[in-house]
Amino acid sequence: MNPNTSLSYLDQSADVKARFDRINQRETILEVRNLGKRFRSQQGEVEALRGINFSVRRREFVCVIGPSGCGKSTLIRILAGLESHTSGDVLLDGKPVKGPGQDRGMVFQGYSLFPWLTVKKNVMFGPQMNGRSHDEAERDARLWLDLVGLDKFADAYPHQLSGGMRQRVAIARALVNQPRILLMDEPFGALDAQTRAKMQSHLIDIWKNIDVTVLFITHDLDEAIYLADRILVLKAHPGEVQEVIEVPVPRPRTPAQFNSPEFRATKARLEELIHPAPEPESEDEQAVQPHLIRFTNVMDNVE
Amino acid sequence: MSLIAKLTDSETRKRALLGIGSFLLPLLVWSLVSYVPFIWHPKVEVTVPGGVDYFQVGMLVDRVQFEDEVAYAREQHLALPAGKPANPIYLPAPHEVAKAFYTGFTKPPVQKDAPWLHESLWHSIQIIFWGFLISSLIGVPLGILAGTYTTFARLSEPFIEYFRYLPAPAFGALAVAILGIYDGPKIAIIVIGTLFQQVLIIANTTRKLEATIIEAARTLGARGVKLLTKVVVPGILPDLYRDQRILLGWAWTYLIVAELIGTSSGITFYITQQARYQHFDNVYAAIMIIGIIGFGTDLILGGLGRRLFPWDRAQDRR
Amino acid sequence: MNVKHISSTLKTLFTRLILPAAAALSISAHAAQPLKIGYSDWPGWVAWQVAIDKGWFKEAGVPVTFEWFDYSASMDAFAAGKIDAVTMTNGDALVTGAAGGKSVMVMLTDYSNGNDMIIGKPGVRSIKDLKGKKVAVEMGFVEHLLLLNGLKKAGMKESDVTLVNAKTNEMPQMLASGDVVAIGAWQPIAGQTMKSVPGARPIYTSADEPGLIYDVLAVNPASAKQRRADWIKVVKVWDRVVKYINDPKTQPDAVKIMAARVGVSPETYLPLLKGTRLLSLDEAKKIYVKGDGFKTLYGSSKIADEFNVANDVYKSPQDLDSYLDASFTNAK
Repeated sequence: MNPNTSLSYLDQSADVKARFDRINQRETILEVRNLGKRFRSQQGEVEALRGINFSVRRREFVCVIGPSGCGKSTLIRILAGLESHTSGDVLLDGKPVKGPGQDRGMVFQGYSLFPWLTVKKNVMFGPQMNGRSHDEAERDARLWLDLVGLDKFADAYPHQLSGGMRQRVAIARALVNQPRILLMDEPFGALDAQTRAKMQSHLIDIWKNIDVTVLFITHDLDEAIYLADRILVLKAHPGEVQEVIEVPVPRPRTPAQFNSPEFRATKARLEELIHPAPEPESEDEQAVQPHLIRFTNVMDNVE
Repeated sequence: MSLIAKLTDSETRKRALLGIGSFLLPLLVWSLVSYVPFIWHPKVEVTVPGGVDYFQVGMLVDRVQFEDEVAYAREQHLALPAGKPANPIYLPAPHEVAKAFYTGFTKPPVQKDAPWLHESLWHSIQIIFWGFLISSLIGVPLGILAGTYTTFARLSEPFIEYFRYLPAPAFGALAVAILGIYDGPKIAIIVIGTLFQQVLIIANTTRKLEATIIEAARTLGARGVKLLTKVVVPGILPDLYRDQRILLGWAWTYLIVAELIGTSSGITFYITQQARYQHFDNVYAAIMIIGIIGFGTDLILGGLGRRLFPWDRAQDRR
Repeated sequence: MNVKHISSTLKTLFTRLILPAAAALSISAHAAQPLKIGYSDWPGWVAWQVAIDKGWFKEAGVPVTFEWFDYSASMDAFAAGKIDAVTMTNGDALVTGAAGGKSVMVMLTDYSNGNDMIIGKPGVRSIKDLKGKKVAVEMGFVEHLLLLNGLKKAGMKESDVTLVNAKTNEMPQMLASGDVVAIGAWQPIAGQTMKSVPGARPIYTSADEPGLIYDVLAVNPASAKQRRADWIKVVKVWDRVVKYINDPKTQPDAVKIMAARVGVSPETYLPLLKGTRLLSLDEAKKIYVKGDGFKTLYGSSKIADEFNVANDVYKSPQDLDSYLDASFTNAK
């Protein structure tokens, strides 16, 4: 622990404590029990996840963070039903998860919009797959596009939109199915800093106004603290839960809180857990040794 | 805005000019070789046989040999042969081909009841159309299935990989035995020549569809046949369309063997026949017609593709 | 002439196994329909075009349909039972028959009279000049037979020359390359060779051994039996064709019709016709008799049969009597 910080990340103000009490009284939406995942690779058998336990309450915002190789993407893909697990249980509203379903919405880092469909039709895709009529689906799509602020772009194709706008469409497309939980796999990872900040605020706004629970994967510590009620910190090889942190930063959150003591204390703890070098170098990268020769005049110094 | 408009306008003009240039350049080379006597012209066309016993008017002789004979005739005090530089018979000059092209369409066939050139051509186009249609009706669904389902691919692809190396023309006799002597076996050869490549190419295209697109669709509730028809097929459609354009060109290359099977007919049989009697002006005219048809079809299909797939920016690139 | 035995193994397989079965199935279906005859690009067969264009079959009261083929495609179609008759050489009739497409040669159309040739490069003037040199022929094909015949006449053996196997279509390049001193080819490839190697000349041709190759109309045995009267009418029409082509008054018109069929000018076509000796019915009757040597169809076919067996075109000798039936030619 940082001795200069008087405040610990474990210290919660009365308001924050009361909020967590309220959250803990809500029903559990998602429960993960003793989850494990092994798979065979060319290097032999790999244990990606081991003994993962956690639960998410209704309308809770949970972030998952961890170094690369901690299996956070594998975890969310298992939750979405896109991958199988080898041991343990995933329960949604108490029922085990089998394959993908409309009760879990997913937003991918690469947007994954259907390029051949207009923005509106992208959003209509889910309802139509689930047996809604064209008119109903269109009405829902309009509603959700309005909510993410893209009603004017309903007839545009995805390639005509900016990255941030595409991710809004992806969020609308996932939410229109009214899932119990929204799974987000580093959704803002490909965006520039400015757009990313905007999208974070926008996501919080959506979450506040809609009955939805969010499980959000990120490798950005600030993003995790800014968004989450609780942060699930994973460690790598094999992926295991290292700690579950209840974020002491009070809500409503604003970017101004980035310098608050609670924020800094939490970030210090996260850095301690994940280690300062966030991405350990692979062997290939270590082999890359730049050999710099001076190509400029010795007098022509830039520093 | 207007600046961009101007830029793109000049860009289009430049592209069009380059496009025309890409045709003019080979034509220029061809003209130079044909009309400038000291470029190439490895032969001498005999105009006066002189005292050389085997020379005939119009005969093409190697230049070296001609000079040899001239020297020999001079030595022996025989009448001197004369001649002018010429290209080998298989390289007619542009104007000869242009003339053959024109007369091919305007002059009625000499033989009674024989098809006009455009009728032969139309017959060939029909063979291509049916061959390609049948091949596509089988090949496209098979390709998509093989590209989507690993089990299906493992079951079908090894045999197809093997079969595609078998020379399609070798099946001519079998095709005649089963399908008769008219258009049936010709269409069959086009199908055999195209189908197997088609399955493999389309399977590959299908595999290249981004996995997350399918995953996204699954998380939204798509599964089974709907996943195939609402996601996989529309997802690969622009690439599939491009593949089909390439494969259509492929089908044309099998036409020349197809039209030698069963009764002889069509534009490429005309080429074979004319080549046998060394009428290379007619041969080149017919080859050019096929080129124009093929290129024209592709241009039209390309334009159509841009309209059909407004989301696919790759259609614009050529 | 253009003997082309079926070259690829694949094709042979189909011809041996599948075509006979297909042929057996389709024979009976042809009764009472027009006789379907396949013909191809050889002057002796293009001659039929005269009768077709003039409507002589209709006049003779026999319904026929002529189908224009590439030569080997025409034999494939016949072997598959898709046509009732085909024009081919007597040697090819045996080859096709050995592979399952049995036939009866109902009549002779012509014999090659110079259109098949051994061509020597400049300086080579006779067969004797070939001794110890390389000669290119398509092995097992008729020019091979022609060469052996020429060697024998010159008192030489096959081993006196080195044979190089090459495709007949490639003969012009073979001779031009200078690797061989002579090649064997038929028209129009022979003419092409002489054009591309000026000074090259024929040193031995089918005109030196008339009857080495006879061209015939070969009919499916079942059809020959069931439609005997019709085939006899076809034979009679042929006589009219030969007279029309040979009559100097009508020859230009005949040549025009024939040239149009193959898509060349009459002037180009006339020399090709000269290398073919068309046979009138009376002439054919004298050839279609039993006997040895090249003077009779029986003798020529026997030599072709022996040649085919010797060169492994097929394994065992054919029963020649089943192929030869002079009664159509001799019918009153």
